[in-house]
Parts: sequence; C-alpha cells; structure tokens
Amino acid sequence: MSLTALLVTQGLNALSLAALLFLISAGLTLIFGIMRIINFAHGALYMLGAYLGFSLTLWSGSYWAGLAAAPVAVGGIGWLLEFLALRPLYRRDAGAFLLVTFGLALVLTESVRLGWGPDPQRLAIPPQLAATVSILDEPFPVYRLFLAGTGVVVAVSLWQFLERTRLGLLIRATAQNAEMVEAVGVNVRWIRSGVFGLGCALAALGGVMAAPLVTAYLGMGLNVIIEAFVIVIIGGMGSFVGSAVGSLVVAGVQTFGNFYLPELALAIIYLAMIAVLVLRPYGLFGHEE
Amino acid sequence: MRRWPGALIIALLLAAPWGLPAFLLTSLTEVLILGLFAMSLDLLVGYTGLHSFGHAASYGLGAYAASLVMLQWAVPLPAAVLAGAAFSAVVAVPVGWLCTRATGVSFAMLTLAFAQLAYALAYKWQSLTGGSDGLAGVPRTAGPFGIEWFASRPGFYYLVLLALLASYAFCRAFVRSPLGTTLQAIRENERKALALGYDARACKIVAFTVAFFFGGLAGALYAPFAGFASPDLLFWLLSGQVLVMVIVGGAGTLIGPMLGAAVFLLLEHYLSALTDSWALLLGLIFIVFVIGLPEGLWGLVRRRQGPPALLRLSPPVPAPEREHGLP
Repeated sequence: MSLTALLVTQGLNALSLAALLFLISAGLTLIFGIMRIINFAHGALYMLGAYLGFSLTLWSGSYWAGLAAAPVAVGGIGWLLEFLALRPLYRRDAGAFLLVTFGLALVLTESVRLGWGPDPQRLAIPPQLAATVSILDEPFPVYRLFLAGTGVVVAVSLWQFLERTRLGLLIRATAQNAEMVEAVGVNVRWIRSGVFGLGCALAALGGVMAAPLVTAYLGMGLNVIIEAFVIVIIGGMGSFVGSAVGSLVVAGVQTFGNFYLPELALAIIYLAMIAVLVLRPYGLFGHEE
Repeated sequence: MRRWPGALIIALLLAAPWGLPAFLLTSLTEVLILGLFAMSLDLLVGYTGLHSFGHAASYGLGAYAASLVMLQWAVPLPAAVLAGAAFSAVVAVPVGWLCTRATGVSFAMLTLAFAQLAYALAYKWQSLTGGSDGLAGVPRTAGPFGIEWFASRPGFYYLVLLALLASYAFCRAFVRSPLGTTLQAIRENERKALALGYDARACKIVAFTVAFFFGGLAGALYAPFAGFASPDLLFWLLSGQVLVMVIVGGAGTLIGPMLGAAVFLLLEHYLSALTDSWALLLGLIFIVFVIGLPEGLWGLVRRRQGPPALLRLSPPVPAPEREHGLP
C-alpha cells in the first residue's frame, strides 16, 4: 500500500468516524447552549437509537425506514423526558441536571436491557451500501463514505438552519439571553423542549448509523458519551463549530493514533484534551461563561 | 445528651465482630469502605459545590498504589494503605489544578475525562497494572513489627473502622475550619468570595486534594479487602454510583453519604436478589431523590427531628434548610 493511499483511506476512515461523533456531540452542545445543562443520558439515547433502528428495520424490512423513524421516535422520547424530568429543575443548579440525566441514563440502559435482552443485535448494512469501491487501488467500504457524506450533509443543514431560519435565530437568541427572548413574547419552554428533542434525535441518528458497524450493544453509549464530552471540551461548550472541529480532531487523533501508536490509542484523546485545556481553558471556540 | 446516638453507633460498630456472623462482618466492612469513599466526595459535592464526576479516579489510584507496594515490596498493610491515599493525593494536585480552570459543568466533564484517562492507562499499561485482568492476589501483608492481626477478618474490620472514624473526625474538623467555611462560601457565591479576597481556586485545589486523599484511602482499603485491583475501580460507572450515594444520603452532611453508601449496598444486595433490573429501580429512585428530596435521607431524618416525641431526649432543634457546618 502506498503512503498516499494509506493516508487517503485513513483520512476517509477518520472522516466517517468524525461524522458519527459529530452527530452526538452536536446534540450535546446544542442542548448545553440553550439549557446550560450537560445531558448525561445522551449516550443512552444514542444506544436507544441503535436498538430502535434495528427493530424498526426488522419490522419494516427496510434500513431506510429504520434510519428515518428511529430518530423521530427518540426525539419524541427526549421531548417527553425533558417535560417529565428536567422541567421541575430549571430553578436548581447545574449539578441537579447532571445527576438527573445520569439517573435517566441508568433507566434507559436498563429499559433497553429489559426490552432487547443482553445480547448485541447485529443490523446488516443495507444492500445498496454493502459494496466496496476502489480508492487509489485500495478497497474502501461504501458504507463509510455514506457515513462521512451524511455527517457533512447534516452539519451543513444544521448550520444553515441555525443561521438562516427564524427558528434558528430564536434558538441562538435563547442561548444568548433566554430572559430577553421570553420578554419579547417567545415561548422559551417550547424552544427548550424542541432543542432537547432535536439533540436526542441527532444522537439516535448517530446510533442507527453506527449500528451496522459496531452492532447495537448495551455498553455502546458509555464509550461514546465520554468521547463526545472530550469533543465538547476541546471545541468549547455550546459552540456548534467547535463540536464539528472537535469531532474531526478526536476522530483524526484516534484513527491515526490507532494506526501508529496502538498502545496509547485509548489515552491519546485525553492527552489531546489536556493540551487544549492548558492552552485554552474554555475550548477552541468557547468563551468564558 | 445530643451526642449519645453517635456514641451508641460507634459502640455498636466496635462490638460488631462479636455479634455478627462472618459474612455480615464482611458486608459491614464493605459498607464502611464505601461510606468513607462517599464521604470523601461529599467534601467536593456538598461543601465546595464542585460536582466531580471522576471521583473513581481517587479510589482506583489508591487501590492500585496500595496493591503495588504490597505485591512488590510487601510493605506492611497500614503503611501500604496510607501510601495509596498519599499517592492519590499527590496525583490530585496537578489534576485539580487543571480541572479547577473550569467551573460548573465543564468541571464535571473534566474530572470525568481524567478518570477515564486513568482507566485507559490502567487498562493498557499491562506490565504495571496487569491490564484488563487487574492485579490479582493482593495480600493483606503482615506488620508493622510483625503484627499479623490486621490480616484477620476482625482485625481488618477494625483497621477499616479506625480509618473511617479518624477520617470522619478530620473531615468534620476540616469543614468547620476557616478553610472549610471558605469552601462553603465559594459554594454559595464564588464571585462574592473572590471579591472578599479569598483565593477561590487555591481553596478548591486544596479541597480536591483532601477529597482525593480520603477517596484514595478508601480505595487502598478496598484492594486488600477484595484481594484485587481492577480497572473497574477507575471506571466512570463507579464515579456515578458514589455520586448517587452522596445525593441519596444527603450532600453536605458527611454522615449522609455514609448512610447513602449503606442504603446503596443494601438495595443492590436485596433488589438484585429480587429482580434482574435492579439498576432500573436504582435509577428511578435516584431521579426521584434529586427532584423531590434534594436534602437526601439524612436531611429527611433531620427534618423529622429524630425519634418520636416520647423517645426524644433533647428539645427539638429546628432543621436548617441546608447544613453549613457553622457553629
């Protein structure tokens, strides 16, 4: 394998991983931006998305139906959770949210264990994407290209949604000063619920797309939530661009780190995070609270 | 007169090896170790207002350090336990320095990430830590001066009890000291504390280090208790569980978290015998506690003002909304 081919295929691998990580961390950072809370249950919702995607695909016979329906379902569940468990807490400190969402993560994980059993569920790659293409004479799975492409499409459309639409404007305004938005007559509660649901739906989308690669298993949320935290710390809390850049950094460090320094691969993203933190305590694109 | 329930509990704990069957004494030892661990986290969560989500790091570091010095050099058990706690505290200084650069939620995520870094190291540094298998066969080494009594079941129990009581006495004095009250001032209003001229960051680093010392002490006791140290002791699930103990028991009370640890182990024991999905119940109980009873079990005990009126020995004390540790 030539060096160029190696770099290109590893780069594409990193990009597909970054796409998955972005879907999770973007939801996390959106929710943080607007509610000033860290959703610990985000990993569990990602896992729930994977399991629901698996079942909906089996039930409907089409991966695409599962891919479309699971995020909608998880978004609805997220909306409901916000309504039931988080609304009573808006007058309390940030710690209370951390604790309640940790409890939610436990409850969701156990519900999945009850619903689907302890065994991993394998979701097949849809036949249209099961092939490989040749990139610089090296075979490369189409499904990973699909992941990378979806990540880019979602990132661009989210960015345009936040920048160009009226709802996006209201979301950004709420993140900046919720009281002011409320004062001009916008129902901030609905925006909060909606953004929470949207963030959960993004996590679920990541889950369904990850399921064919890693299978849907009970611990999948645990591993990914820590990576998403690292991304959000690197990129800056509440920064949308930060989560995109952070995803690329973490995915790149992981992919190339796995290849060149396999012993350090687990630790290396934390070292990257510490390096960023020493230089910029609020992350690359964050600013002081 | 108000002191007698505490004295009674200590007397009961001292007498426990004579009255309890062996397996219950073992369970009680575990409760005390976890109680110590939860109490150490309370210094951060309850008194300083720092929600650490990586407190398992202190536990695991203490456990690994104590195990290694016992396995490699057969250091006497009490000295090894202290070495584990000291190692954890030494690591806490730079980690605390970095973590306190951030506040609030970022602090929680940073502590979590550092604990995961420790987990990753323990997992990968095969030659030192034994990798995913961890360190097996951690002995209860003899000594000092050839005393082998600490290795026995009651001897080890007394060692743990001694560590817990000494730690509690220290932490109680600590939270009532000028430094301790400054920490509570930071918890209540950091900006105001800064304006009054307190170096909030330095105080937080001290609190972090002290919490890690006692967390490490608990971990260093756990390794010879269980006979092993594994990466699970550093995993974030444990960090979450100890936070559950603190909140359910009552943050900011020192006693509450110990009660929380006991309740947690009891629930784990009985619910896991009753149903496979005990973690589901645990999660629900936890959510209900955070939303409905932020002052925790100990707060509930105090709100009820102790035993029924007929049995009450002292005049009722109005329960403060939150324990501030001030005289």
